[in-house]
Amino acid sequence: MPVDAAAPYRTRVRQALADDGLRAALDRATEHLSGRRAKAMAEIDARRLRDEAGAVRRYAIEHLPDLLEQLESNLIANGCQVHWARDASEALGVVLEIARAHHIGDVVKSKSMTTEEIGLNDALERSGIDVVETDLGEFIVQLAGEPPSHIIAPVIHKRVEDIAEIFRRRLDTPHTTDPAELCAAARRELRNEFLNADLGVSGCNFAIAETGTICVVTNEGNGRMVTSLPRVYIAIAGIEKVVRSAEDAVLLWQAASRNATGQAVSVYFSLTSGPRRRGDSDGPEEMHVILLDNGRSRILERGYGDAALCIRCGACINICPVYREIGGHAYGRTPYSGPIGAVLTPLLDYDIHAARDLPFASSLCGACRDVCPVKIDLPRLLLDLRSVVVERKVSTLGERATLRAYATAMRQPAPYRVLVRLAGWLGPLTGLLPPLRTWRRSRSLPRFARKRFGALWHERARGDDESTAG
Amino acid sequence: MIDDPLEARDQILARLRRALSGARSVFRDRSGPSTPPATPTAVTRADGDRRSLAKAFGTKLAEVSGSYEFLEDAAEASERLVQLARAWSADDDGDTEADDAPAIEVLSWAPLALPIENLGPRLKESGISLFVPEDLHDESTRARAARATVGLTGAEAAFAGTGSIVVASGRGKSRAASLLPLRHIVLVPMSRIHPTLEAWLSNLRREQALGSFLRVSGQIVFITGPSKSADIELDLTLGVHGPRLVHALIFDDTW
Repeated sequence: MPVDAAAPYRTRVRQALADDGLRAALDRATEHLSGRRAKAMAEIDARRLRDEAGAVRRYAIEHLPDLLEQLESNLIANGCQVHWARDASEALGVVLEIARAHHIGDVVKSKSMTTEEIGLNDALERSGIDVVETDLGEFIVQLAGEPPSHIIAPVIHKRVEDIAEIFRRRLDTPHTTDPAELCAAARRELRNEFLNADLGVSGCNFAIAETGTICVVTNEGNGRMVTSLPRVYIAIAGIEKVVRSAEDAVLLWQAASRNATGQAVSVYFSLTSGPRRRGDSDGPEEMHVILLDNGRSRILERGYGDAALCIRCGACINICPVYREIGGHAYGRTPYSGPIGAVLTPLLDYDIHAARDLPFASSLCGACRDVCPVKIDLPRLLLDLRSVVVERKVSTLGERATLRAYATAMRQPAPYRVLVRLAGWLGPLTGLLPPLRTWRRSRSLPRFARKRFGALWHERARGDDESTAG
Repeated sequence: MIDDPLEARDQILARLRRALSGARSVFRDRSGPSTPPATPTAVTRADGDRRSLAKAFGTKLAEVSGSYEFLEDAAEASERLVQLARAWSADDDGDTEADDAPAIEVLSWAPLALPIENLGPRLKESGISLFVPEDLHDESTRARAARATVGLTGAEAAFAGTGSIVVASGRGKSRAASLLPLRHIVLVPMSRIHPTLEAWLSNLRREQALGSFLRVSGQIVFITGPSKSADIELDLTLGVHGPRLVHALIFDDTW
């Protein structure tokens, strides 16, 4: 049974863990990607790249408002229209308004987690506009009616047999499990969409302030199609994506490529600085850039700016022992999974209740921190978010009562002694108590010693007294 | 819907300024403000004379499933271009008699934008015509461009460290030529091959040409090998949306 992203956290995890096919697919894919990353980083001075990439991102966040203003004025000078959106609904409003003004019927999209974050596809479809995801993986999950389960490899959770079945059912292609043939079918299908769409929508990997340039990283070339063929092009950029210069963007592009897929660079890196110029044969007639906040300024206000350094390479996701077991859908209705997702989702979401379990979906092993290309201390952020969950009393009543009782007992000798004695007698029965029952299911409790430490201590003390006396 | 567009802008900027000027750092990691070098260290390495850079470029391109050939000069490169176009069009038509095949059409940059002089007339003599689209938003032009099986472009620069080329859109330099056809032939004169991305960027920066290079064109694209995807069970597939074949004709223009 697939994981239901709308179900409660525990249900999602249970569903994921029960799916052997899912875990086999995850194991293989994450091992592969992590291995490729390690190899690509071993070829170069990895420490220096991390130091410089981290510094470049940090500089950008420290100078965010100035860089955004510089970006805006350069985009406008380049002939773009710039829109600012405080939240998802404002961003959707801008897109729909542009779509209405141009009587848009068909939209082609390149992969963008920011558009997933604001629910763009649903909003367009509700307004009667057809939208097609053109990244192969995104196209497949869209056909399947599912959200992506990984920021880099959206369809990481599916086996080729599943994909073959989706193609047969939705595209009426003859049954084949040859990835090359499936790919060719998608190429034919999507080529028509590219040639006929009126509006292209992309995300933004980096936005260069100095020149007013939107950078899009792809391997398939769909990013180039989306930014070149339709008459109107909209780029949706989180405000944290801005960087100082082309040099910084090229550095981060290389860092992202090596850490995402183990490539030295991605196949395509498109730097779009405005609509088609006079005399150009192709390119959009109109280019819009939406600068989206949607919780990002709050991340800085709350002192979690480290999370805003992220360049979305997915290295922390691939290395995470928890993600490897449960996959992306178990993180709920969020495009961001794995360690960075467990940090970003509760921070971006106004309602911490909805995502309060995510900071706990980690063993804090630290592997994510070790691979992060911009050196985000993810375990630290996860721990801090856990304490927020507790302080804000979004933890459960039972949990708080238990911990309060525990604190009282540990501070006073009499209740402590009673408790320890009780535990000694009831030790073998703890497996029956509700909170421990779950815990005991996969672990065994060491046997309680026949005598308590306190009792032994007193005996020893008496013995010593006797020996010195003798 | 935004009632007052400036309100959103000003509010976002004000919030950011407030957060950044506060007593508390916006970061958990308080290692102090960072001052990254204006010129980052080159990630990849490549050095040597023109020929060894050209060789490194070709080798790197081949590593990412592209291909290349060395030609002595521009004349040899254009001859080779004719051979390739003929062979491929025969493949596509299932036609073995290349001689009486219909004229072969290549979706191309304008001859003036290509790094070989007089290429247009020379190809025409060999039965190959260059289709240089004027306006790809025009239905029939777009349909004709979409039928092309070979695209031909030059490159602003090429990089030995990664096997990448960079193309800039502009008058006579369509984006479509390196994007729509299944095969992309790129003409690379040796003088345009640089050691690394960073070396090239810092040259442009020193000549104060970087800003205008990026802004004059609607779009510049770094291309490193053929279009690919590993989305289906990590199985590498070429030619997902862009070209399946990227073939560099590297020739010596430094005589």
